[in-house]
Amino acid sequence: MLNKICLGLFVSFGLTCAVHADWRGDLTPIARSDWQPEHARHLLDRAGFGGSAADVRAVLDRGPADAVRRFVYFEGIEQQVLPPFEHSGVFDEGLDPFPPSRPATTKLAKVNGEALGVAVKPAGNRPVQPVVNKFFYWLRASRLETDRVAYWWANRMLTTPRPLQEKMALFWHGHFATNEDKVRDYRKGLKQLELFQSEGLGNFRTLMIAVAQDPAMLAFLDAGVNIKGSPNENFAREIMELFTMGVGNYNEEDIREAARAFTGWNYTGLEFRVAPELHDDGEKRFLGRTGNFDGEDIINIILEQDATAAYIAGKLYCYFVREDLTPALQARLGAFLKGNDYNLAVYLGMLLRSKDFYAPESIGTRIKGPVELVVSTYLKTGLARIPGVPDFNTVTGSLGQRLMHPPTVAGWSQGRSWITPSLLFERGNFVLDMVFPDIAFVPPDRYPGYGGQIVTVHKRLRQGMDITAATKPAGVDGGADMMAASNLLADRDEAFNTRYGSYRGWQMAIERVKPISRHTARLKLTEQVRQAELRTPREVVEYFVDRYFSVAIDEETLAMLAAFFEAELGTNDIESAASYMEEPLRVLLHVILSRPEYQLG
Amino acid sequence: MKTEKKMSRRRFLEANLAAAGGAVLMPLLPRLTQARDANDRILVVVELSGGNDGLNTVVPYTNDAYYRHRPGIAIQPSDVLKLDDDFGLNPGMLGFERLWKSGDLAIVHGCGYANPSFSHFTSMAYWHMATPNSGDEFGWLGRLADAMAPATADNMLINIGSTQSLAVKSRTHTPIVFDDPQRFQRNGFVQAQRVLDSVAGRPQQNPGGLLNPTRRFLNNVARSARSTSALVRRAWADYDTPIDYGIAPLDLPKVAACIASGLPTPIYHVSVRNNAFDTHVQQPALHRRLLSYACDGIHGFIRDIERLGFGDRVTVMVYSEFGRRVPENANLGTDHGSANVMFLAGKGVKGGHYGEPPSLTELTEGDNLIHTLDFRSVYATAIEGWLRQKVGDEVLKGSFATLPVFA
Repeated sequence: MLNKICLGLFVSFGLTCAVHADWRGDLTPIARSDWQPEHARHLLDRAGFGGSAADVRAVLDRGPADAVRRFVYFEGIEQQVLPPFEHSGVFDEGLDPFPPSRPATTKLAKVNGEALGVAVKPAGNRPVQPVVNKFFYWLRASRLETDRVAYWWANRMLTTPRPLQEKMALFWHGHFATNEDKVRDYRKGLKQLELFQSEGLGNFRTLMIAVAQDPAMLAFLDAGVNIKGSPNENFAREIMELFTMGVGNYNEEDIREAARAFTGWNYTGLEFRVAPELHDDGEKRFLGRTGNFDGEDIINIILEQDATAAYIAGKLYCYFVREDLTPALQARLGAFLKGNDYNLAVYLGMLLRSKDFYAPESIGTRIKGPVELVVSTYLKTGLARIPGVPDFNTVTGSLGQRLMHPPTVAGWSQGRSWITPSLLFERGNFVLDMVFPDIAFVPPDRYPGYGGQIVTVHKRLRQGMDITAATKPAGVDGGADMMAASNLLADRDEAFNTRYGSYRGWQMAIERVKPISRHTARLKLTEQVRQAELRTPREVVEYFVDRYFSVAIDEETLAMLAAFFEAELGTNDIESAASYMEEPLRVLLHVILSRPEYQLG
Repeated sequence: MKTEKKMSRRRFLEANLAAAGGAVLMPLLPRLTQARDANDRILVVVELSGGNDGLNTVVPYTNDAYYRHRPGIAIQPSDVLKLDDDFGLNPGMLGFERLWKSGDLAIVHGCGYANPSFSHFTSMAYWHMATPNSGDEFGWLGRLADAMAPATADNMLINIGSTQSLAVKSRTHTPIVFDDPQRFQRNGFVQAQRVLDSVAGRPQQNPGGLLNPTRRFLNNVARSARSTSALVRRAWADYDTPIDYGIAPLDLPKVAACIASGLPTPIYHVSVRNNAFDTHVQQPALHRRLLSYACDGIHGFIRDIERLGFGDRVTVMVYSEFGRRVPENANLGTDHGSANVMFLAGKGVKGGHYGEPPSLTELTEGDNLIHTLDFRSVYATAIEGWLRQKVGDEVLKGSFATLPVFA
């Protein structure tokens, strides 16, 4: 019965939509009488990470008003507790504050006789080595633990009954982008993520202030060193340019004045702290106003600007609806958001119910981001948890979106920038890795993926080589003349050996960071196909297209896929192939999900 | 890396064809540019993303004003790699010192534009589009490729990176964009290859007869991937080098591999990842390290290209979205600035200083350098002086004087 409805979906598509007048720019709610299966699917795709045939049916039955309320306000959803992140326990006293670099750490150690909670050896060779080891330990451990945070989050995306909560967290993670490579503390990254999860559908003012006082953000934008008398503008600039108004709505003096207002904002460990003696409490002139402003005042003034509301409303629109946004519509959306005091749930509720959201121009025209692609593929395949093989972070990273590692403070560019010739292949290769797991898989949270250097050092040391010999770079021809400067530098300081520290740091880290479970995806395609009572290869192809795709596929391609599948099966009778069709089904799924059209959502 | 006897391109394509089952030869054949002359020239553009601090790169080590502005982070005269009586290089730049000594490095001073933006993203977009304080749908390298080859070709532009740069966005051509050449491959079982390679003939419509432009875009990328990936993979597999490129060689060995394989591509773009040059805090050690990586990579590349016999055909151009503020900040770092140095490197370059170094005493209101040369003059120099292209005003949206960097 279910499959009948779904198979009919694309057939009804053309007819139902063709009769609509132009819905572009129409923010009035879609009527229950216009509510079609493709709309329910569209809502599931955009407000979450897609859904099964049963999910589509449930959303369809609820009707647009109830369905959207359920997404936005979690109405009717049991207060289900998702498991919190399970810490490995890698943090030690003395690691916070973590110095900005290895040279800064060793300098500190030489001055103080200790650093990172580790003492310098009073005598003997390489006296600072234990400090350097600890430095690399935390670099590796924090990064590996961050990868576990990303896994935890991906599993929430897959299993949550409140998908919009995670989708919004993903949006804000790209908007308020901070990167573990610079923050170097998984605890701060986790705390920020939890903020996005709890406040992501709340009030933008609350969220913006919380982010401006968030240790990960303060660390990422060097706000901690913005002090009275010599303000650092990085933080103030990015707040205005990327987080609230966008360029063109302020000048350089506004940035300098705002930076003064944020002076003294800092953190200790995981807590926000203002250092009054470092705060400039003089008068500032900001966006035409004058006063003794502090950081919160600055944010409040920024939020009074129409430009801010339009910027945020427009960015959300492009993320959830589509990328071609007229200035007139953006101004209307901004006015709505501001008129509702930056209440994000109210705004999203309006957007997700609007006819504009369900206009044919909005459906199947957006390129899925890598995380969405991977999570929704698992979800639509019916998996209950994110597989450990392939590695989720490696896959999404090679597709261009590694969680907790946005490339710059501007986050990820959306849309077409997700796709290059190489990345299109990678997307298909991911599906192959899901349906036929790589048996040569090496877990990246155990085996160091740093060009093999750590492993080389490890092997040489165990063979009895001394540290200098064991850490010499391999495979470089010619004398010192031809050696690159960066390779000459590596071993200059006798007080410690960086490459040895890198090796020991990794060893210490994997001892304490809990391993990620490396289970593979357990697919049950045969069972699913049989339950759907499909009889011919063509029906199977249509079933997969219907289950996974947001756009229709042309007849020529459907016929080609059906012929290919029939050749794989050796028959056109599904029932008679039931005992051996799991493998052909997987080959077919790989082929179908590798198509360019599958990237649309 | 192993070196195996090279298969001819034709044999290679035939082998591919056999593997693919025979029916799809035509779509697999790339639309190659016209057979290019053996003397055709190649431009490799290197981006130092994040805003490289030009003053601590090419250091005016005899200028008192420099030391006054930067008491904490200035590079001392005893540390610079001296070029002459006025300038020395950051001590990390051994690679560039070697290029300077062999006469292969041109330093262009004071490059910038009027009313500079201090936003990474805005300023970088201006440099990519070559349209300061304005915009364009395409990048300057993309427009250059359009002017050089009006008919669609699959290999006018190669952009190595995880995402496509705006600089190479072209109206006519689909740039080849890849990160790891070994991964630029469609994995799949042999019997599925033909179906995996298929791309719908007509751009499909959305319900209601609506044309979906994103769908057409995806199909074009799929076609480009299909026709170029094997060439790139083969280039990388055939490449082997004894040259030391240093620790983080900016993807330049991949460029060398493509050039060595005989790809007719005239334009390459590579960049430093993750805005690394954005040195607001604790700049000196970090900046020195970043520069050593970049200069090792570029020096290694130039020597490698000479070894491969392409020394006379390749020039490297180096740019960044802005320089940094003249006075240091309170955190042993520097904030976003304006004018900056650019570099041109290669055998075809007449080494030396070009342009006018900006004044360190007459600064803008925000303590920034006043630019002395529009950066598009350096672009024009690369286009006309190096690539010998007469392309008109379309590419740079105007006419810009060139510098006598090339003979």
